[in-house]
Amino acid sequence: MLALALGLFGAPVSLAAEPVVVFAAASLKTALDEVAKTYANNTSIGVTISYAGSSALARQVENGAPADIFISANSAWMDALGEQGLIVPESRRDLLGNRLVLIAPTANASNAQLADPDSIAGALRGERFAMALFNAVPAGIYAREALEALGLWNMVQPHIAQTSNVRAALRLVSLGEAPLGIVYATDARADTGVTVLDQFPPELHAPILYPVALLSREVNHDTREFYEYLNSPEATDIFRAHGFLIPGESGE
Amino acid sequence: MSDWFGPEEMQAISLSLKVALWAVVLSLPFGIFTAYALARWQFRGKQLLNGLVHLPLILPPVVTGYLLLLLFGRRGPVGAWLEETLGLVLAFRWTGAVLAAAIMAFPLMVRAIRLAIEAVDPRLEEAAATLGARRLAVFTTITLPMILPGIITGAILAFAKAMGEFGATITFVSNIPGQTQTLPSAIYAFLQVPGGEASALRLVLISVAIALGALFFSEYLSRRATARIGNGQ
Repeated sequence: MLALALGLFGAPVSLAAEPVVVFAAASLKTALDEVAKTYANNTSIGVTISYAGSSALARQVENGAPADIFISANSAWMDALGEQGLIVPESRRDLLGNRLVLIAPTANASNAQLADPDSIAGALRGERFAMALFNAVPAGIYAREALEALGLWNMVQPHIAQTSNVRAALRLVSLGEAPLGIVYATDARADTGVTVLDQFPPELHAPILYPVALLSREVNHDTREFYEYLNSPEATDIFRAHGFLIPGESGE
Repeated sequence: MSDWFGPEEMQAISLSLKVALWAVVLSLPFGIFTAYALARWQFRGKQLLNGLVHLPLILPPVVTGYLLLLLFGRRGPVGAWLEETLGLVLAFRWTGAVLAAAIMAFPLMVRAIRLAIEAVDPRLEEAAATLGARRLAVFTTITLPMILPGIITGAILAFAKAMGEFGATITFVSNIPGQTQTLPSAIYAFLQVPGGEASALRLVLISVAIALGALFFSEYLSRRATARIGNGQ
C-alpha cells in the first residue's frame, strides 16, 4: 500500500505534474479560463490560475507567493514588481488591451451621449453615476482621466458612487440603482442587463493594457510553454471573442 | 492631528464613528428584545429566527451587501416602499451604511446579551412576579440590571464590528466621500495603489486606537456594573 502510494505520488511523477501557477487580474476570468481549458485539451501540462485584484496579487508576489506568471490589469503594478526585480524583464509584454464604455440599464436606458453634457445630466437627474474607485482602481482612474479630458468631470463628480471593483459598478447599473456607469467593454459584453450608450475615444486616457511577465523564480519548460501559448492565434481568438483588444492590431 | 490627515481622511474617521454609533444605538433595543425572546420564550419558528439572526455571520459580507441592495435599493421592494411612504432613502447614503453595519453586527450583539440573560436564574424573576410585579417591571428591575454587563459587551462587540465593516457596506452603498466612505473603505482604496501603504497604515493605527479605546471603556463599564450587582444595589 505504501509502495503504491509512493509510486503514485513519488518524486518522478510529481515533477512532471507540477502545475504552472498563473496570477491573473480578476477581469480576465471568463476569457482566461477558456484559454486554459483549450490549452488543457492539447497538452498534459497543468495550469492553475488564481484570480484576484491586481493589487492583491502583486502584494502576494512581493511576499513570496509561488507563482510563475503574472498578468496585471494595469502597468503600475507590473512596474512595481519590475523595480523590485521580481519579474524577468525581457519577458514583459502587453498581452491585451481594453476600452471604456458608457453604460445604462437595459430596462431603463437613456440616450445619453458623451459629446452632449446636457444628455448626461438629464440621464442622471440627481441619481448616481457608478464607476470603480477613481483614485485607486484602474478602471476608475481611466474613467476619471477620460471624463476630465471631455470636460465632464466637474459636473459628474458630485454624483459618483465609487465601487471596490469594476464589476460592482456594472452590477449597480444592471440592477437599475444607477442610471449611468463606466466599465470596460468586456464587462458590458458579459452582462445583458446593461446597454452600451457610447464608447470613450482611447486617446482620452492612458492606454488600457494588460501586461504579462514571467516571475523571476526558476522558469521551467512548462511555464515558458504556457506563456508562449497566451500569444498563440488560438488564445488570441478567444480573447478577441470576449471583447479584448490585441495590442498592435488595428482598431486600437 | 489635522497635520497628519487630509480632510478626506478626517471625514472618513468621523463618518465611521457616526455610522458605528448609530448602528449600535438603533439596533440595541431590537438586540435586547431578540436575545430575550430567544433565551426565555418558546414559540413557533424560534429556530428560524435564530438562524436568520446568525445569517450575516455565515454569509460572505459581499452577499449580505448584495441582498441589502436587492431589498433596500431604490428599485428594491423595501427600498421603494420606504422612499414612497417615509421619504427615507438608504441607497448611497450614510443611513444605508448604518443599516449595513447594524445588520452585520447584530448576531454578535444578540449572542452576548442572550448568554447574559440565560445566566440569570429564572426563579429570581418568578419570585418578583409572585410578589406582584408586572412583566415589564420584573424585566426593568430584576433582569435588566443583572444583564447590564452582557448588554455592554454586546454593544461594544457590535460597535467594533460596525467600525470594521467593509464588504456589505461597499457593496450596498458604494464609496462616496462624506456619505459612505468609512475607514475600512478608505484603507481599501489606499491599498489599491502602489505606495499607498503609509496612508493606509495611518488609518489602520487610528482604527486600532478607536477599537482599543472602546474595549477599555467597556471593560471599565462592565466592572462597575458587576460591582454594583455584587453590592446588592
